[in-house]
Amino acid sequence: MNEDNSPSQLTRLSTAAAAGVLLWISRTLLGLLIGYPILLAIRASAMGAGPERDAVLFQPGSLLLLELLRLGAPWLASALRVALLLSLLSAVIELIPLAVALDLLWLPGRPLRERVENALRFFLRFLALGAIALLVQAALLLAASLLGAALKPALSSSDERLQNIAPLALIGLGLLACGWFGCVLDIARATLVRRGRRECGARAALAHALLCLRQRPFSVLIGAYPSVAGSALGYLSAAWLVTRLDPATHSSGVIALCFGGHQLAVLFAIAWRVRWLAAALDLSRSTR
Amino acid sequence: MRRITLDLLIGAVFSALSGLLLRALLLSTGATPSPSRRLEKPEPAWPALAAGATKVASYEIDARLDADVHRITAKETIHFINRSTAVLNELWFHLYLNAFKNDKTLFLRSPFGAGRSGDKAHEYGYVDVKKLTVVAGDGEDLWAKRDRHSPDDPEDETDLRVPLPRPLEPGQTLDLELEFEDQLPELVERSGFIGSFHFMGQWFPKLARLLPGGAFAHFAFHPQSEFYADFGDYDVSLDVPSGFQVGATGSRMRESQAKGRTRLDYHAENVHDFAWTAWDHFEARSERIAGTQVTVLYPPHQQENAQAELASVRFALPHFNALYGAYPYPTLTLVHPPEAAANAGGMEYPTLITTGGPWFSTFGGGHFIDVVTTHELGHQWFYGLLASNEHTEPFLDEGFNSYAEAEALEAHYGSGSVFAAFGLSVSSTALNRLISAARGQDEKINQGAAEFATFRSLGALVYSRTAIVLGTLARVYGSQRINHALGVYTRKFRFQHPTTADFLGVMQSELGDSAVTALTQAFSERASVDYLVREISNAPISAAAGVFDGPTGRQQKKPEQPHQPAQYASRVVVYRHGTLQLPVEIALGFEDGTNQLRHWDGSGSTFNVDNVGPSQLVSVNVDPEQRILLDDDRSNNWLSTQGSSLPLCRERMLYAAQLLLGAFGP
Repeated sequence: MNEDNSPSQLTRLSTAAAAGVLLWISRTLLGLLIGYPILLAIRASAMGAGPERDAVLFQPGSLLLLELLRLGAPWLASALRVALLLSLLSAVIELIPLAVALDLLWLPGRPLRERVENALRFFLRFLALGAIALLVQAALLLAASLLGAALKPALSSSDERLQNIAPLALIGLGLLACGWFGCVLDIARATLVRRGRRECGARAALAHALLCLRQRPFSVLIGAYPSVAGSALGYLSAAWLVTRLDPATHSSGVIALCFGGHQLAVLFAIAWRVRWLAAALDLSRSTR
Repeated sequence: MRRITLDLLIGAVFSALSGLLLRALLLSTGATPSPSRRLEKPEPAWPALAAGATKVASYEIDARLDADVHRITAKETIHFINRSTAVLNELWFHLYLNAFKNDKTLFLRSPFGAGRSGDKAHEYGYVDVKKLTVVAGDGEDLWAKRDRHSPDDPEDETDLRVPLPRPLEPGQTLDLELEFEDQLPELVERSGFIGSFHFMGQWFPKLARLLPGGAFAHFAFHPQSEFYADFGDYDVSLDVPSGFQVGATGSRMRESQAKGRTRLDYHAENVHDFAWTAWDHFEARSERIAGTQVTVLYPPHQQENAQAELASVRFALPHFNALYGAYPYPTLTLVHPPEAAANAGGMEYPTLITTGGPWFSTFGGGHFIDVVTTHELGHQWFYGLLASNEHTEPFLDEGFNSYAEAEALEAHYGSGSVFAAFGLSVSSTALNRLISAARGQDEKINQGAAEFATFRSLGALVYSRTAIVLGTLARVYGSQRINHALGVYTRKFRFQHPTTADFLGVMQSELGDSAVTALTQAFSERASVDYLVREISNAPISAAAGVFDGPTGRQQKKPEQPHQPAQYASRVVVYRHGTLQLPVEIALGFEDGTNQLRHWDGSGSTFNVDNVGPSQLVSVNVDPEQRILLDDDRSNNWLSTQGSSLPLCRERMLYAAQLLLGAFGP
């Protein structure tokens, strides 16, 4: 496909679905990896060794859940550290399926092997972009928290609500700014994938994304809003559904329903993310 | 442009729906009362309620607050009756405001911070007694003859002896007049000021409790200790700057304004302390609940907290009335201190309690406001009406009250009595057990407040472990029986000063020897219990084989194949570690899906559970109903031959990791 020939609606839908499934599979596999140390720690505590297995941990009142935290605290703390390290590693690994997904959305007809090779070629540049984004986002949050600290003396005579809310609001604004920079980052990634064959560097991609932000600020800043709000809606819907089930019954039907509800939520969030990635490709393309 | 509008629209719809869901998840599960059990009907066999206390020391105080310099100038008259059997030659005064006089007092000298709040004083406070005379006496200033410091502690002036000019015979009365001045400290725990907020606890010279034998139960103000005093009547006039709202022990009888000042007269009968607060920013809300006029004083913008506190009292006051005997006073005042004075929160005085919490306490699924309000309200019985010695037996008020609090909260909110949102619920019992199991055997429960190694240790043992001891008994013997026994105790010793022996006496008559043995061991002997299983054994049964000599001669029987259908002998050995002996149920699960429940009275250190049947034993669960809350380790209470599997945890872990990657991944 070249830049002037748009794929048909059906092709767009099928490639979006393929990209979504790819992201879901990678997130599921990496999720299993991240959760594994914690599962080992819970198993070591013997709290799931009884006839009701781990359903006892979900009993109302949490008597045995707190017992797990008390008895298994040393193992759980270590497992949590390992899980966080694995999360970092997974976030890096996830750049590869993300690059493949972007490639799928950009060029539907390419063979999978070629896509993976491309994704591996982009990997270092994706990583560099991620590092830049991390630095910028850390700086934004630091600025927000410093501003909050600077405001504290000025607010000391105001009412308690304002004293509590103002620093939180600033952190919220910082997070929002981080989110917006995340949108720019996605456009930079899209630019890299789109210009892949022209050997576009990370710096040039970021410059292009910032140019896009200057030219079409509303499209960039609002484009990811459905994705973020959709994720929240999906996760909260799943939480609402699962709170209506009683996991302490230990029935396989309940477990299946919990799994189904949660995975639907993840898929829903990914679907809206894919929609935004496609939009990011379009925004990158239409920026001159 | 069309795309932007569409994105905005979709995002807004999603956000609105998310907001509704979030609200449902936080509020509906967090606030909907789900009573787990109904309160038992009042029993016909309750002891009669005493109308009032035997009064020993009554006080009339006329106090003026100078809010700008945080000073109180006062005159005090004490009407004292020698109710003991001995002739008295001295009196003991508690001047607990002197605890905040300097960094060398018993209260402040610890390098690890003072008392329950851990706070050090920033601006110091003290009480100066100007004069102490006998009413209608010769005008001699008795204060000049006082001891200069607390016994054996030259740095402390909180516990002072005053010799009497003449012996006071049993039954004789003595009226004393004092003039004193308080310089309030910047708030340390519940005494002092923050800005224009003032809280006056332990603010006036007060007599130590006179024991029946003629000794005084006097003690210097220790950072881990609370109080002990005689019952009496209090008539207190408070003169504060106009514009200050006042909350105090007792009922407001009169109010008058003059020269920019407000004068308020308070009267309280059958109480053993008087505390008050004054602040020019308080807002007030009042309501009649179960025959009592309940007033909440709260900071501006904390209407939600005040409403939650009233709602809490609406449930807990009638609940406690039914369980422990009717609240006998016409008023109850709740004081919610401002956030800057949070240390003044969470405290009990007769007819006045302090609550606390930031303005957002009612948001989310936590029941923090209910927990603190219910706890402090419970103290109106376990401290107010049953005025035990909080210095030597703190578990009698704090521990029993922690049980009462947990019982009431769980009756109100069910399993989510501490927290309930997003499908997770945490009960008071679970939280108490967590703390109790973590530090439960560090020290014994029944010891003086000052004897505990640290306040954290006191907190774990006196508050949480006592509640768990009573909670275990409630689950083993039945909550109705325990609550009835507690109801008998609270009625029988109302307006008195009960001791551990008094409590055990009631338990003896209501629950019998085994309960008293368990209580004594648990409270006074650091006793513990841990039930555990180690292995499950199954063996197919076949007819005995071998060489047998019988009346008909020698017979040889060859081993046979196991019976068809097979019979199995199954055995599991249950062990009891620790010295507490409590009856326990043991649930057995068999391969064919059948279950059995066995009972062990807890005697001995092991119990063999044997079974012969068509199916192999595949699982055992000791105490499946989780009645033995004192069980040290619940992870060894069960075994399953089918091994450990964690399907729910696996599912939740996967989802949590996916959420994490979704939020922070690329």
